[in-house]
Amino acid sequence: MRDLLQEIWESLRRNKVRTCLTGLAVAWGIFMLIVLVGAGNGLLNAFLSDTGNGFASNTMLVGGGRTSKPYDGFKQGRRISIKDKDMDILRDPQFSDKVDLISTSLSKSGYTMTYGRRYFTNVMLTGTYPSDAEMNRVKMLAGRFINQKDITDKRKVIIITHLHAKNFLTGGTDYERLLGQSVKVGNLSFTIIGVRHGEENTDDRELYVPYSTIKSIFGLSDDVDGVTFSFHGLTTEAESDAFEKEVRTAFNAAHRAAPDDNSAVWIWNRFSQYLQTEKAKSLLITALWIIGLFTLISGVVGVSNIMLITVKERTHEFGIRKALGARPGSILKLIVTESVLITAFFGYIGMLLGMIACEILDATVGQSKVVIFGESMKMLDNPTVGLGTAIGATVVLIVAGTLAGIFPARQAASVKPIEALRAD
Amino acid sequence: MLIELKGVHKTYDNGQPLHVLKGIDLEIEKGEFVSIMGASGSGKSTLLNILGILDNYDEGEYHLAGKLIKNLSERESATYRNQMIGFVFQSFNLIGFKTAVENVELPLFYQGVNRHRRHEAAMAYLEKMGLTGWASHYPNEMSGGQKQRVAIARALITHPEIILADEPTGALDSKTSVEVMELLTRLNREDGVTIIVVTHESGVANCADKIVHIKDGLIERIEDNRQHHSSMFGTDTIMK
Repeated sequence: MRDLLQEIWESLRRNKVRTCLTGLAVAWGIFMLIVLVGAGNGLLNAFLSDTGNGFASNTMLVGGGRTSKPYDGFKQGRRISIKDKDMDILRDPQFSDKVDLISTSLSKSGYTMTYGRRYFTNVMLTGTYPSDAEMNRVKMLAGRFINQKDITDKRKVIIITHLHAKNFLTGGTDYERLLGQSVKVGNLSFTIIGVRHGEENTDDRELYVPYSTIKSIFGLSDDVDGVTFSFHGLTTEAESDAFEKEVRTAFNAAHRAAPDDNSAVWIWNRFSQYLQTEKAKSLLITALWIIGLFTLISGVVGVSNIMLITVKERTHEFGIRKALGARPGSILKLIVTESVLITAFFGYIGMLLGMIACEILDATVGQSKVVIFGESMKMLDNPTVGLGTAIGATVVLIVAGTLAGIFPARQAASVKPIEALRAD
Repeated sequence: MLIELKGVHKTYDNGQPLHVLKGIDLEIEKGEFVSIMGASGSGKSTLLNILGILDNYDEGEYHLAGKLIKNLSERESATYRNQMIGFVFQSFNLIGFKTAVENVELPLFYQGVNRHRRHEAAMAYLEKMGLTGWASHYPNEMSGGQKQRVAIARALITHPEIILADEPTGALDSKTSVEVMELLTRLNREDGVTIIVVTHESGVANCADKIVHIKDGLIERIEDNRQHHSSMFGTDTIMK
């Protein structure tokens, strides 16, 4: 191996400029690949950050709707509203092997929340269950979320967002200080038990209270906003859609709507959406890889070309080597290894520069925000490539180097030993 | 019998068939010093290529040290060349970017001998050629005679059955030519190396004990030259 490397080093040393120019094309190709994939990742991260982190992907939301066809003696266009007892549908043995957590929520808005001299108008109170914390990925910054005891005792406790808390603390972030304090919502007094993270971009300012509390205060009817539940054991989109259909049929049956009526209840299948997003993501990344690879091809062709010239120049030398007993395989190995080394060496330089470019992108564009449709969002979020891309690019380089070397190497290996006798 | 050729024919077919060797019968014993002479186009180079397993032949048989050399794969012929034949070329054919000692090592490299042992062996042969001080020099830093002695060291390093020298003095001046031929003669006399020299110079041929004259693809005559009186220019000089 050492001998082989020494041979290659000698050969490269004799053609420094040529080797470097060739290497530049390869470095450029892999640089483009890394920057493209990195920027693509950043773009995806930026656009998907809300949907990606806002809730658990294995959940489904069911809400009320309007029937689209007459059924069971009812006319079409009948309003269907979800009741809190609809949660029992999901506890049925038909679903119990898949469904994990079930929660419901009921929101009332239009209140004013007052804390000392500070107040917020038109706030929304949402009654919910402890399991909502997991399903909607509620980020607690201080205190705790609603627990079962709050539900049972119908406690008047409330969880505010850090946006409210900041205001109450006149800009401070010592949220712990607010725990145990009272706020007035309408003319009712609630005790703050937790401060959660509220998303600035999406006007996420709901105030969470126990479902039983809001129900006892306002709930003359059983109507709720909807039912949220989480499930497990599904992997494909087809499975997910089939499960969604089962759920729809069960809800339709409970509300005396046609089993195939798609608008009687509204279902948001976050799992299917998640799978679709993942698919779109991988499609985009694949497209970027392909563009990057095409850029790389020009580099690889360059290497192949230069190796062919090298082989041509060294024909006499290969003839001598063969006359002295070099087997075709040893010459093949020499050229292919040389090609792989050139490609890999310059490829790694390109990869390194690409990663540096990604970091620069992250430090500049990645930190700035733009306003799109009135929402401020990041242009790029963490536009870097992972270890997977680096390994993938390494494999690409080795394969590319081998491909670039194989033609010249075969030509070199086929040099006749008689070439050695040809005086030049 | 070290070399045994029986009815060897060779035809090149480049558009028009060219019958170069028309039935060569030749026997060479171990330890002989033979020269093959002929005008250009006589077929002597083709014969050398076949003897050196650099080229195939169409008809007949060629036995080298008891082995039939016929229809070998590239791999096999590479191995045989490496183990049984040492080449000395007109244009030296040293690899320019390798030092003298690295050039001498090369045949052992293809035998898979480790770095240390092949370096030792190469240094020993360079010493024998009186080139110890030139071991780390590159070919372009050496004179023609020195280069040819490096080439001879390279040819000897694998202890081959035969040394095939193709116009070994073709690129040398007359003084150096004499030195190189004396070196080959000494190797033959003292170490019993079998040497075949292909040349068109009668002075060079005269160093050999046996001269094979080739004409139009056939052996014209085999001359016993143990008295070394073949060259009309005398025994001590090589006419350039």
